[in-house]
Amino acid sequence: MDISYIFVISLMLALCSSQAESKQKSGRGRGSMWWGIAKVGEPNNMSPITTGIMYMDPAIHSTLRRKQRRLVRDNPGVLGALVKGANLAISECQHQFRNRRWNCSTRNFLRGKNLFGKIVDRGCRETGFIYAITSAAVTHSIARACSEGTIESCTCDYSHQSRSPQANHQAGSVAGVRDWEWGGCSDNIGFGFKFSREFVDTGERGRNLREKMNLHNNEAGRAHVQAEMRQECKCHGMSGSCTVKTCWMRLANFRVIGDNLKARFDGATRVQVSNSLRQSANAVAVVSPNAAGSNSGGSNGLLQSAVSVYEDEERMLNDHMPDLLLDNTHLSSKIHHPNMPSPNSLPMAGARARNGRRQGRKHNRYHFQLNPHNPEHKPPGSKDIVYLEPSPSFCEKNLRHGILGTHGRQCNETSLGVDGCGLMCCGRGYRRDEVVVVERCACTFHWCCEVKCKLCRTKKVIYTCL
Amino acid sequence: MSGTILENLSGRKLSILVGSLLLCQVLCFLLGGLYAPVPAGHTNVLGSLCRENHARQNDTSFFLYSRGEGACTQVTREEVEQDSMKLANQIVHVFQMPLPRDSRVLDYSRWQQNLIGVLQVEFGYDSSSELREPPKELQLTIDMRLAYRNKGDPDHAWKLYAHGVEHRYLDCVAAHIGASETLYTCDMIPLFELGALHHSFYLLNLRFPLDTPKQMNLQFGHMHDLTLTAIHQNGGFTHVWLMLKTFLFPFVVGIMVWFWRRVHLLQRSPALLEYMLLYLGGALTFLNLPLEYLSLSIEMPYMLLLSDIRQGIFYAMLLSFWLVFAGEHMLIQDSPNKSTIRSRYWKHLSAVVVGCISLFVFDISERGVQLRNPFYSIWTTPLGAKVAMSFILLAGVSAAVYFLFLCYMISKVFKNIGDKRTSLPSMSQARRLHYEGLIYRFKFLMLATLLCAALTVTGFIMGQMTEGQWKWNEDVEIQLTSAFLTGVYGMWNIYIFALLILYAPSHKQWPTMHHSDETTQSNENIVASAASEEIEFSNLPSDSNPSEISSLTSFTRKVAFE
Repeated sequence: MDISYIFVISLMLALCSSQAESKQKSGRGRGSMWWGIAKVGEPNNMSPITTGIMYMDPAIHSTLRRKQRRLVRDNPGVLGALVKGANLAISECQHQFRNRRWNCSTRNFLRGKNLFGKIVDRGCRETGFIYAITSAAVTHSIARACSEGTIESCTCDYSHQSRSPQANHQAGSVAGVRDWEWGGCSDNIGFGFKFSREFVDTGERGRNLREKMNLHNNEAGRAHVQAEMRQECKCHGMSGSCTVKTCWMRLANFRVIGDNLKARFDGATRVQVSNSLRQSANAVAVVSPNAAGSNSGGSNGLLQSAVSVYEDEERMLNDHMPDLLLDNTHLSSKIHHPNMPSPNSLPMAGARARNGRRQGRKHNRYHFQLNPHNPEHKPPGSKDIVYLEPSPSFCEKNLRHGILGTHGRQCNETSLGVDGCGLMCCGRGYRRDEVVVVERCACTFHWCCEVKCKLCRTKKVIYTCL
Repeated sequence: MSGTILENLSGRKLSILVGSLLLCQVLCFLLGGLYAPVPAGHTNVLGSLCRENHARQNDTSFFLYSRGEGACTQVTREEVEQDSMKLANQIVHVFQMPLPRDSRVLDYSRWQQNLIGVLQVEFGYDSSSELREPPKELQLTIDMRLAYRNKGDPDHAWKLYAHGVEHRYLDCVAAHIGASETLYTCDMIPLFELGALHHSFYLLNLRFPLDTPKQMNLQFGHMHDLTLTAIHQNGGFTHVWLMLKTFLFPFVVGIMVWFWRRVHLLQRSPALLEYMLLYLGGALTFLNLPLEYLSLSIEMPYMLLLSDIRQGIFYAMLLSFWLVFAGEHMLIQDSPNKSTIRSRYWKHLSAVVVGCISLFVFDISERGVQLRNPFYSIWTTPLGAKVAMSFILLAGVSAAVYFLFLCYMISKVFKNIGDKRTSLPSMSQARRLHYEGLIYRFKFLMLATLLCAALTVTGFIMGQMTEGQWKWNEDVEIQLTSAFLTGVYGMWNIYIFALLILYAPSHKQWPTMHHSDETTQSNENIVASAASEEIEFSNLPSDSNPSEISSLTSFTRKVAFE
């Protein structure tokens, strides 16, 4: 007993000290450091059971901000989901960009550096895509983990069942169980969204244009997850008739979300710093001190409106998590519930008071409108990816900008697109190799339990950029 | 049937009665709308992947589970993707219900009554092998094992609930067509239905056996996410529902006893309509009987079937009653002897009988078979779906025939009423009052029935359209689905309650019937005048005692005066 106590205390001390250590680091660098948790648990294959070990991984402390660490600590099992989410984002990004000059390469060793490399220091399209897909992946992965049961702290959202007679005068866990018995629990997807906002958007205060770009792209990623949700209903009334119908939301496969984000990447909007701080017509001229973007360093002021009105906040949240998200028969109430999107609904011990004070600003930081670089273009919508500067060519290796170049990349001889050898190799020419690939083929299955396959040798021609 | 309370009740009393019944109706609606939660809740469970120990594959007492002590080591999706065979025949999809929430392990309560599971399937083809468009009605073979565990049992103590190898047919659409893989998303398939949610935890192990000689599951590339949605009745709704039933049950029983005593106090044998009212009350009492209390201690998997049957009996009785009621108010006494179901209405009721029997057969072949095999569903096979559809179609056709016939009968009654109206002034007073009473009774019931039917239909449509919720203002929101269910349930109870009161025979000896001295005096006059018209009365079906009739007519006249 005592030994375990000492262990816990020493662990906490270690945590504190490392927190203090990384405090200076956390503000540095523009890219979100949390992407680095994709490497947590490597090289061993991690599984949800070993989460205890994962907390001690130093990668966590070098990559996560204090608030993010607190979220991870307060939601057991969430770390595994985040690691999965980050890896999901990387593999999806690499899949979507496998035929382009920039192929979403990541570093193998972080050493306090950004996972995707220096490319994220520039506000180019690729950076926008990285932000969008990582935020989408976290949302997706957390929601999935909730329905897999690996995160135990996913909220049940009883707000609408508070009429339960027993709940009022019984404290703690008994009330929660009673609530579940009385009115059931809501979908898991809402928790994924809330958590993603809390976790991914940490540190992006929306103060300058680059932070606004990040925020916008993070939101765009989540909006794509949400737009791809489909409602399913089942009738189960008398004799299976529709007098009683239950509906729920179904998450799409992440590949579909990746496809959509890639399409938005291709049609991304370049936004710019406007010369004058323009206020939208209906905006209140004097901005309240805790409103988004009203900081003194407003030289980048691109805001059209920074009004912080409570109604606006609710409307905006409804925009981002519209009825579609939660319109199960017993869920839709929550979206109208003013407290619903508050960060307090995530279990975060000791963070309530502070968040209560900051709440206004936290929500309003999403409330801005970016201007297109070309004034004739439409302003970007909530699902569009935005960027600030044109992308480099990615042809030659440039370590200062974190570009690996296309040397040694495979290309397609017959294609005329970006994956064709002409464009991919930037005119440097390419090499032709013949390789023999051994694959399993003509498999036969027997239940139970054997699989017999032949080995087939096929010749393949591979073209590689010089 | 001779004079009823409805005709003899003063306008004030009638309005008080109707008003209080309407109040009860509103209370029933609000009980469901404000107090009860939605009728059903759901849990979306994403399948976890466990690697199989082949030695125990056929051992149905062995289960893989994903949470708790001794849980299987899970296989990640990446591992499956990396394996060249996608770990074929080695993976078990594990679903453990319910999910933990708010850092607590939740368990099912017996108040949650029943559990319905549907599965959503996603699978992918390697585009490299062949680009195939999956045909519609793709046959999927699933080895399903459902296990349970109770609170307090150790984590590994799963016991087999049901085991089956079932076929399901999938309709899929391509969600993503890529160079390396094409992803398909499929419509949900029904998986299981448990009529009794008797245990605390449930566990589902699914295997998709691949077998070349049997051509089993070969047309599927490999499975991606499987999502199980487990739908249960909400405990709070069961509470409210049972509360309503327990509350209504004694009232309806009481009023039935009162009604039957009243009928027996008469010196004639009960008329057909009185029998029908009693049967209707009996069917309602059977429906009201709060049998669900038993399911809290005994495992009753037949509860779903039983509640279907109870509702079916009640609605059949109600439909028959309307037909008989319309028939009895034809105002034509074609045969002097008393009418019975067999002598007059068996043809009329054949539509009801056919409809009910076809629905019953459908129910037996769906929920009845599920008692033996919870994985069974008649909808899963194309043939079964056709058979089920034809039964439902038959029921629908008989319902249409019934309503057309009912409309025809009612229009005939109205036509007769119109005819009689013209000849009313020329009739003797007692006879006229008799007909006026009949017309009044009929119109009252028509109005009440139409109101109830309209409320049911609008409630149903509103519930379907607004997705179950409706906001009054910031604080008050109404659960429309629950409100609809409790409202309609309460409404039919109140309707029948009112019928039993208002259509009970009245007689002057009854002390609650207040009448002034003036009317008692006028009674005697009418007795005298009625005696001369005895011949005419003898044609009336329920004519038994002239003095009784005459006393009744005096009440009717009193109503007419007011």
